[in-house]
Amino acid sequence: MGKYYKDTEELYTIYGYFLDNILKDPKIGSKLAKAGIVIKFVYTDPDAEITIDLKNPPKKEGYYGTFYLGKCDIEADVWSSQPADHSHRFWHGLENPIAGVAKGIIKQGGKVTAMLKLLPVIKPTFQQFPIALKEMGREDLIVTK
Amino acid sequence: MYGNTGKVIYINCSTGKTEIVSLDEDVYKNFIGGSGLAAKLFWDYADFDADPLSEKAVLILINGPLAGVPLSGTSRMSAVARSPLTGALAESSCGGYFPPQLRYAGYDGIIISGKCTVPSIIHIAHGSFNIVSSEELWGKTVGEAYVKIKEQYGERSRTLIIGPAGEHGVSYACILSDAHHAFGRCGLGAIMGSKNIKAIVIEPHKTIMKYFEEQKVKSLIKELTPRIKEYIISQVLHEFGSAGNLEGHMYTGDVPIKNWTSNFNEEMAEKLTGSTLTEKYLTKTGTCAYCVVACKRIVKVDEGPYSIPEGPGPEYETVAALGCLLGSSDLAAVCKAGRLCNEFGLDSISTGATIAWAMEAFEKGDLTEKDTGGITLRWGDMPTVIDTIIPSIARKEGPLGQLLSKGSRLAAKSINNNLIKYTAQSKGLEAPMHDPRGGGHGHALAYAVSPRGACHVSTAMHFMETGACNYPEIGFEFDLEALTDEKKPETMVLATAIGSIENSACFCQYADRSLTFAEMVGILNAVSGYHYSLQDALDAGWRIYHLKRLINHRFGLRACDDALTERMLEPARDGEPQGIMINFDGMIQRFYELMNMDNVEGVATVDTLHKYGLEQEAAIVWKKRK
Ligand code: SF4
Repeated sequence: MGKYYKDTEELYTIYGYFLDNILKDPKIGSKLAKAGIVIKFVYTDPDAEITIDLKNPPKKEGYYGTFYLGKCDIEADVWSSQPADHSHRFWHGLENPIAGVAKGIIKQGGKVTAMLKLLPVIKPTFQQFPIALKEMGREDLIVTK
Repeated sequence: MYGNTGKVIYINCSTGKTEIVSLDEDVYKNFIGGSGLAAKLFWDYADFDADPLSEKAVLILINGPLAGVPLSGTSRMSAVARSPLTGALAESSCGGYFPPQLRYAGYDGIIISGKCTVPSIIHIAHGSFNIVSSEELWGKTVGEAYVKIKEQYGERSRTLIIGPAGEHGVSYACILSDAHHAFGRCGLGAIMGSKNIKAIVIEPHKTIMKYFEEQKVKSLIKELTPRIKEYIISQVLHEFGSAGNLEGHMYTGDVPIKNWTSNFNEEMAEKLTGSTLTEKYLTKTGTCAYCVVACKRIVKVDEGPYSIPEGPGPEYETVAALGCLLGSSDLAAVCKAGRLCNEFGLDSISTGATIAWAMEAFEKGDLTEKDTGGITLRWGDMPTVIDTIIPSIARKEGPLGQLLSKGSRLAAKSINNNLIKYTAQSKGLEAPMHDPRGGGHGHALAYAVSPRGACHVSTAMHFMETGACNYPEIGFEFDLEALTDEKKPETMVLATAIGSIENSACFCQYADRSLTFAEMVGILNAVSGYHYSLQDALDAGWRIYHLKRLINHRFGLRACDDALTERMLEPARDGEPQGIMINFDGMIQRFYELMNMDNVEGVATVDTLHKYGLEQEAAIVWKKRK
């Protein structure tokens, strides 16, 4: 098991809360929606899968996209696989995704260029991730440099 | 000999004397090829007292040992001379389709000295070469000359052409290959122009290459090609061109805006980035010989004041230099300004940077209408840039054209030394469009110690610092933090060797990003039979770096010239890097120490030079000093 998440359920709880916030954020969510793609994140240690649908009409009102925790049937345009710990640090702004790919930590496939275009858009969320952890009473998971 | 042919064309344009110079295998092994071998030949052939644009000056073009091998990003060559812009060593690398044809014709390079009495071309066909008068081409733009040459020598002939800027001796004139790919930097086009050479033309030759290990080369090509194509950086380059990550760079503070006075502009990020270029103006992609990445852009702007017919489109440096740096987010205008630079044969980086310097100086009242001949300079005023400034620079017309054709450092000096503070350059070479304050503090060190002046491709620091490569086999597996000096001098030591190898073996720094260091050395060995161990290859890289520093020393450059301007080192005013200081002095002193370089003379110690087999060169430089 990795350093930060004790199991898949814990990972889903945290990412669920965080994604719920950013997908209804008018500034970030609206920019994400412009990508018009379905992204699948595959995690290891613990094993998990999260799909973010920025292509089909959002399922909930007031949201700019829909996310699914766990396996789902929606076909992804792009996928990315990495250790859950690496992703956790990434959302704190502490990992360079290009270096992650160069070192083979992150594997990707499909329309990766469309996903890369989202990097500048999600940058502001790096500040929001620790805030979300705090709101959830999980300061213990906040990573500092 | 394998890969290389061992033969270099020598042409004295003054006397008409031509000969084939045969080179020993050892010279190749010691200096690899490309920019390393060109530097070695420059050392042997140059008159170090000659003015860069004089008859006595030499211009040397040398292929990489892999030019002609059907593997992405390896058919390239380097050009070396003394720069009219900096007075230091000039070097520039170019892909396209010329290098493999030169190799197939039986030659590894061309050394040009003297000056033709009339405008001429160098014509290479059926293994022979000669000088042909071509007065009718003089004065033509690159595109016009290209069409005429193709009409005369056939559609499949390959060309190196200068534009009016090279003919007029603009210190940052470039050489265009097939009117698209450029030996962009350091004013090599002006040197070609000073020799009255409008073009070098090569007719197609039969594909013949001799490899040291035929089977191994074939299997490496088969193994590496799909990996190169699928690598994430290659995919971005293919889909969006080298400006594909402009938006990403902008958010890190890497893109200099309005003459390096700002590091963030959201509108520019969106409007100038590579995906916008693809959506709005791309008609098709272009490529260099055998490259599956195809990062080149072919664009067309259909309507409006900046309409241009289908042709070469801007890459990242051009977009940032003629857009962000000038305060414009008009992509159509950038396409047109970039096209003009191509047609006139101007380096778009130095053009944009010199105009940006003038715009700021004008805004501050340090440059007046008296200096500009009545022309008002304003941020983002692209009609004036396109209709007036670029054409006047290319032809050195009027006070403004004459002033800006000198490049930013000399232009500033000629008005008032104090105006250097607005320039962003090192050794007189305008910095490329990566601001070390946001892009990474290691870039600052790389710009300063690069032999040709501010440059992000003469070493591998740019890619190492941004995490785009990882070489555990030679001890590089650091996780570098961009905005600190931590481990940057140590990285820079490796980056100098890797950069020298990339520029001498002539690997494209985009296409071959996914290759390990061992794979780069492996393909080099399999093609050319150099029998390099990884250490041998690194040593060759450092040998080349030290030789280039010795060349600069003979031109009078010292460690104090490894400097950046005030503007480049002041804390950024906005964006991600706002307020952060670069520990420049600390990094550079540590680098000299690690490289065993004298921190006053700016060259390696005698013992170090001996270690790399540069005894004769050391004797000349160090004896002169005593
Ligand atoms: S990546 Fe681009 S510049 Fe490099 S060889 Fe390929 S087409 Fe040429």
